[in-house]
Amino acid sequence: MRTLKLVLAVAVSLAVAPLATAQETVRIGVVQPMTGPVAYDGNIYVNTVKMLVDDLNAKGGVLGKKIELVIEDGACNPAQSVNAAEKLVVRDKVVGLLGAFCSTSTAAVMEVAKKHKVPLITGISTAAQLTEQGNPYFFRAVATTPMLGNAFGPVLPKALNAKRFAFLTLNDDWGRSMQASYPKAIESGGGQIVANEFFQQSDLQFLSQITKVKAANPDAIVLAANTQQAVALSKQIRELGVTVPLVGEGAWSSDSYIKLAGPAAEGVYGLVEYVYTIKSPINEAFVKEFQAKLKENPSKFAGAAHNVLHIMVDAIGRAGTTDPEKIRAALEKTDYNGLVGNIKFDAKHQAYGQTVYLSLVKNGVPDVVETAKIAKP
Amino acid sequence: MSATITILAQHLLNGVLIGCAYALIAMGLTMIFGVMNIANFAHGEFYMLGGFVAFYLVSLMGLDYFAALPLAVAIVVALAIVLQHSIFRRLREAPMMTTTLVTIGLSILLENAALLLWGPQPQSIPTPFPTKPLSFFGVYTTPLYLFCMAVTAALIVVGHVLIRRTRMGKAMRATFQNKESAALVGIRIDRIYAYAFAFGAALAAAAGAVLGGFIPVEPATGGIITLKAFVVVILGGMGSFVGAIVGGLLLGLAEALGAGYMPTGWKDAIGFFAVILVLLFRPEGLFKRV
Amino acid sequence: MRGLPVAAALIVVALCAVPLVVHDEYFLHLFIVSGVFVIAVLGLDLIVGYVGQLSLAHAAFFAMGAYTSALLFVRLKWSMWAGLPAAALLVGLIALVLGSVILRTRGHRFIIITVVFAELMKLVATNWVDMTRGFMGLPGLAVPPLWIPGIGTIDITAKSHFYYVVLFAAIVAFLLCRALVRSSVGHKFVLVRENEPLAESLGISAFRYSMIAFVVGAALAAAAGSLYAHYVGFVSPDLFNFSYVTIMLIMVILGGKGTLVGPALGAVIFTFLPELLREASHWRMIVFATILIVATLFMPKGIIFPLITHLVPRNWRLRNARAA
Repeated sequence: MRTLKLVLAVAVSLAVAPLATAQETVRIGVVQPMTGPVAYDGNIYVNTVKMLVDDLNAKGGVLGKKIELVIEDGACNPAQSVNAAEKLVVRDKVVGLLGAFCSTSTAAVMEVAKKHKVPLITGISTAAQLTEQGNPYFFRAVATTPMLGNAFGPVLPKALNAKRFAFLTLNDDWGRSMQASYPKAIESGGGQIVANEFFQQSDLQFLSQITKVKAANPDAIVLAANTQQAVALSKQIRELGVTVPLVGEGAWSSDSYIKLAGPAAEGVYGLVEYVYTIKSPINEAFVKEFQAKLKENPSKFAGAAHNVLHIMVDAIGRAGTTDPEKIRAALEKTDYNGLVGNIKFDAKHQAYGQTVYLSLVKNGVPDVVETAKIAKP
Repeated sequence: MSATITILAQHLLNGVLIGCAYALIAMGLTMIFGVMNIANFAHGEFYMLGGFVAFYLVSLMGLDYFAALPLAVAIVVALAIVLQHSIFRRLREAPMMTTTLVTIGLSILLENAALLLWGPQPQSIPTPFPTKPLSFFGVYTTPLYLFCMAVTAALIVVGHVLIRRTRMGKAMRATFQNKESAALVGIRIDRIYAYAFAFGAALAAAAGAVLGGFIPVEPATGGIITLKAFVVVILGGMGSFVGAIVGGLLLGLAEALGAGYMPTGWKDAIGFFAVILVLLFRPEGLFKRV
Repeated sequence: MRGLPVAAALIVVALCAVPLVVHDEYFLHLFIVSGVFVIAVLGLDLIVGYVGQLSLAHAAFFAMGAYTSALLFVRLKWSMWAGLPAAALLVGLIALVLGSVILRTRGHRFIIITVVFAELMKLVATNWVDMTRGFMGLPGLAVPPLWIPGIGTIDITAKSHFYYVVLFAAIVAFLLCRALVRSSVGHKFVLVRENEPLAESLGISAFRYSMIAFVVGAALAAAAGSLYAHYVGFVSPDLFNFSYVTIMLIMVILGGKGTLVGPALGAVIFTFLPELLREASHWRMIVFATILIVATLFMPKGIIFPLITHLVPRNWRLRNARAA
């Protein structure tokens, strides 16, 4: 009997404990990795949305209410991200979700968003198939890897003055989709592909892969890596005497990468959705505030955070209500002008119309050397 | 040299560089296993700590690189002594289930402590070596890589001599073979335990501090290092020093060549397959104990 | 003695009442995940607790079950009702093959090989991209409707419905394990654990009985993995991470290994605790690791089971003590 009482007591206390939900604020949930392999970049995203929400609230919030962020750690782990999203939607009653970082986690969170009918926007996960599933609650405010490849692939041979391209990317959805989609675009610009190599998420030593790539004698190496692996990768490439230009998706134009890689970062090209050297009033204001408050230059993850937060708040404002279904409908009609130009969503909820950038690190500064527009798919 | 041979030579050089590190780490693990009969799942954490402490000393405290390396090893050894006194001492007669679970717990504890102290991002130890690569007939290396190889190789030799020639080493080997008779002839098992553990930790920490110059260390590094060291120890024979050294070099070379001429995703699988083959056909490992 | 069936019935009634009392879907989610872990951890208790072999491949069996079921769903359109038994069967067979090699070794080699096997399986899930889609994982797994004779087809995708499926599966798994450990086979498990040479001298093959526990345990883990895959709707190679086996071991060890009830409760508690400790996520693993070390060293019987036996009436305690 005592056990029974215990069980009941626990069950009852669990049922009663949750919060009274007369909402004074508009709650937006964030699932980002604050621990685990990409915690560094995840935290930049989190700090950016926090900073921007303070700004928005200072200007009166949305729907006459203050915006409240509820942030949970997904650790780039699908199971943990699912738990985080469940908590945000069910307990915290958020009206919309921002996240997640890694495409596998986003894929898992998408199922939660669909189940509970809450809109989810990602600004980071670029795996192409996410928007192919036709999940009505999922929106992606960033170009996919194939879109980026289509935009820049044809220009790369000329911009880098290279013919033979070797790929060396992370062995995940991102890296694989890059190696599947870029070659055609590069070949259409007169290039050819001479090597396809991968490394694992836990690797920090790439000597074998680099040696293999070197054996193919490329004129340029195309990379996909986030900050932490990008640093080790570019250093080790140079240490094995490979001097050809490097061009990559990922961290290649971020402050943290340039600082940590030092001389190895010089002359590295980045294929990016955002870089802090963009010349526009809205970006210059953002960079200035970011430098003042967070003491560094915004990375592409900060840029992504800026985009998705404003797109979500804009949709809530246009919906005129906190009903997630209405917000979802408003998101479909997005026509947002932000850091990277105009963003709209197509029928599959994939963003298009925005500008993307080819950056080149010179004296520690990633200058924009080329731009392209993402075409409607 | 023709291009194919140059590339082969480059793969071999990469293999020796990594293989020396494997050998050094596995020597410590096999020592702890042989003397204490503990499969130390926290062994890779000593490697990780060696790297992080060295990073901390050089990068944040501005210590000279060559002074920081031995100091980092000393600090990790001090921690190992504390762990030995607080935890491992109690595991002497404990069943295997207990010893393994405790070391698994310890590895999680140390990994997360490092995460709290130093954050999740991988760190490279700044070195005073010039970064410009050196070329020998098209095979590239850097002064830092050569330094790593020299230090790890030297430590392997030193370790080997210590175990073969010194009284303490002989006492350790006696303990390997038979604890009771070792105790009977007046060997103080307690002290042997403490030395073996500190020695094992020192070798792993040294590997971490030296390799941390070009392979960044992160809190999660320890897990994969432990696994690789176990692979080496099973290949070489559990408790065999020669086995650890030869096994380490073999694994390094096999991985470098395997990754060089097969899809690189399977690189880590090479050692794992080798372990299963060894288990099927030569369960005692390539070399017998001691 | 009479108190036991009554108490058991009351506990089942209380568990059945959970979705009626708990309307917070987030807590229901945690109850469902707990139930899944209960099934997996009961299997681990057979291996670790009853035959005394420390297997670190258990989370890999869980993940392989999840993948088998997910692949059957995605590639062959098999529903969970066919996928779950198929996963249990296939993973049980794999465990049989693996066991026939590694259960002949004893001691440290066994433990290390189980980790190596788990890592190898992770590499397969990651690199066999044509089949598993690698790191992209397999999304879009669905929960099938349930057909009950006389009632008809019901939709069980809602948490409050799926909860009963998991509860039923957990109770079946528990009764199965209890029947097994109370049978003559179970007594031989314990004998093998306590004194292997003696068992061998009595003609009881340590190999054979370890194998039974290993295979049944693996099949349970696979069944749990299948439920989890369809519930969450997504599988990826992360399921093979070492942290899953650690948390399962913590559930078994702190629950009280070799008691079934303890590990089962351990599964519930250690599913809820990390979630309730979300705020302190950086400290969470440090606290768990410390508890694991201290409990292993000083409380070999675990924490939860001794606590219950202390709380419940004496006659039940006696009976359980005999059963264990």
